[in-house]
Amino acid sequence: MEFGLKPLGRERWWLFLLLAPTLIGLIIGTFGSILATLWLSFMKWDLLTAPYWAGLKNYIALFTNEVFLKSLGNTIKFSALYVPGVVVVSLLVAVLLNRKIKGLTVFRTIYFLPCVTSAVATALVWNMIYGKDTGILNYIIHLLGGQPICWLCTDKAMMSVVIVNIWGAIGEGMIIFLAGLTAIPREYYEASKVDGANDIQQFFRITIPLLTPSIFFQTLISTINAFQAYDYIYMLTRRNQGDSSVPVVVFSIYRNAWNFFNYGGASAQAIELAVIVIALMGLYFWLERRFVIYE
Amino acid sequence: MKKLALIIVLIASIVLSACGSGKAKGPVTISFMAWGAPEELAVWQQIVNDFQAANPNIKVNVEVSDWDSYWTKLKTLMAANTPPDVFAMDAPLYLDYQSRGQLLNLQPYIDKNPGMLDGFYPVTLQAYKLPDGYYGMPRDFQTIVLFYNKDMFDKAGMAYPTGNWTYDDLRSAAKKLTIDSNGDGTIEQWGLATDLWDMELTWSEAIWSWGGEVISADYTKTLVGEPIAREAWQFLYDMMWTDHSIPDPNTSGQYGADLFQAGIAAMTSIGHWAVPGYATVEFKWDVAPMPISPNGGRVTSVNSAGFVAAKASQHPDEAWEFIKYCLSEAGQTRLTELGLAIPVLKSVAESPVFLNQKMVNINQQVFLDSLEFSRMKPVFRGYEEWSAAIGDGMAPIWLGEADLNPTLDSVVPQADAILTNNQ
Repeated sequence: MEFGLKPLGRERWWLFLLLAPTLIGLIIGTFGSILATLWLSFMKWDLLTAPYWAGLKNYIALFTNEVFLKSLGNTIKFSALYVPGVVVVSLLVAVLLNRKIKGLTVFRTIYFLPCVTSAVATALVWNMIYGKDTGILNYIIHLLGGQPICWLCTDKAMMSVVIVNIWGAIGEGMIIFLAGLTAIPREYYEASKVDGANDIQQFFRITIPLLTPSIFFQTLISTINAFQAYDYIYMLTRRNQGDSSVPVVVFSIYRNAWNFFNYGGASAQAIELAVIVIALMGLYFWLERRFVIYE
Repeated sequence: MKKLALIIVLIASIVLSACGSGKAKGPVTISFMAWGAPEELAVWQQIVNDFQAANPNIKVNVEVSDWDSYWTKLKTLMAANTPPDVFAMDAPLYLDYQSRGQLLNLQPYIDKNPGMLDGFYPVTLQAYKLPDGYYGMPRDFQTIVLFYNKDMFDKAGMAYPTGNWTYDDLRSAAKKLTIDSNGDGTIEQWGLATDLWDMELTWSEAIWSWGGEVISADYTKTLVGEPIAREAWQFLYDMMWTDHSIPDPNTSGQYGADLFQAGIAAMTSIGHWAVPGYATVEFKWDVAPMPISPNGGRVTSVNSAGFVAAKASQHPDEAWEFIKYCLSEAGQTRLTELGLAIPVLKSVAESPVFLNQKMVNINQQVFLDSLEFSRMKPVFRGYEEWSAAIGDGMAPIWLGEADLNPTLDSVVPQADAILTNNQ
């Protein structure tokens, strides 16, 4: 399948000329930094003096540095909770909002608002909700006769942070799924109704299979976001000097580079993060060929 | 075509005029960067204005950023080889920059001004002195003292802390001042609020007072796990987990910045930088020296912020002139009026400028007297990473998730590994 018009003659030059600013930015900014990171990951560099060859030292440290291993564990745990959470919750919200109800636009706007609000501001509000002695959540629990819970203490912090991150991502997922839902032809539902299918059967036999492309796409995007998650986690769990009760890999990269003069080590950590994400993408695309249904 | 020609002419004229202005003879412009709250910019600008009035040939551009962004910005500018000509330095981080060849040796300039350092408190110079001279100058210093809420002591009918207080006095007072007023199991008022992550506010004082060391003299061995240091740790641990008179970080975190300032803690140990914030509170408060340990020792921590000049500076002479001005009586007086720190010049510190500051009516002399039993916060290469290893490593203890001794056993080798890496 081909789209649009083919550029002819001199138009070709204009095409490249007009694309040049973006292309140059992409080549230098994105590919350039990826290559620089790869190169730096084999160096010992403190930013201020000349880098020198470190061989595989930075990569060996990935397996021996306990602080990094802890943060890697946190990132994996976070992703394992966050990705299914986002997909399931935003799918449910999208299905609920894909019907004719009063104030539909208002609801859709409300669910989308977190995506366009500053993460720092919303995280401050979540701090007010989660506070142990001062928070709204524990006040409600207290009114109901329960014991206060320390939501941001080390044992509960992961769960609390995952909830906030899922909440913040519902809007984006909802948009993707709403687009997918609108593309499902009405006739399928009408025909199945005639055959006596109920709502639940329709959801699992028609909606879910035909939404698999959207589910696939949303899982992919959420996984990338999960491995890069930083802002809410930082605001909710930060302690002194960049420490956190849920330190994820991005924390570790930032601290090694900017606080510990260890740009080589930080680059190796960034490369490992990228390799994990790429490996997961490979797995997803393999699963896509087996399970995703395209009409 | 005509349009294109016009554009080319326009661009060319802009580029040429930019080149031209660089060569013009006129006042030299230097840049100065410091960390601080936004309101501190006005004070620095005032100092700069005074300086410019006295040196019409030098213009200074001031930039003030918050602590975290300051260091990020500074490192980025250095990596681009365009560092500010003069910038603020925190003594413990000094060697991280000096050892990487970023700082200008100020010794030749000091030699041209004999007697210039005579009026300084000697301990403040100690941090910046290296075998081949000074690569930085202290601009102020901070001794850690005990701040107490007079209203809370009055209400409990207790005597205020004195210069003869021991750590046991501190502990029993903190215990009495920790109050759960409505008996619901949640404490409303804490005896002592402090930050135990960094060494400066509490734990280095305790270890030194008990007679221990934090790090070996050659900065190769971490000594916070020695038996005598463990006694000091145990004391703080008991105050938090037996008496519950120090709130743990999870509890204090939800009150935001400072529990003493918020009026929910009766005492805190902190430096003079907290004074402007505390000057705005409703309750009455004052300061006392840090207490004496059960072993009879008393040590508090002193740290010094300073000025350094970039080695890459195009205008080192002008940079030095600005530093010199900030260290003169006029400059130090202006800085003292900020209320954040103690001037390094004895003549200013021991004058009404410091002792009778208008901002608050407290016993400022305590800050100066504390110098007698103070020790410099350690200055060595790799300080930030080392202190993070200890701060992060000990955090589970203060969060109530780990026991003291096994945690120390695992933290010390980690910290030592960092010292080895930074040799």
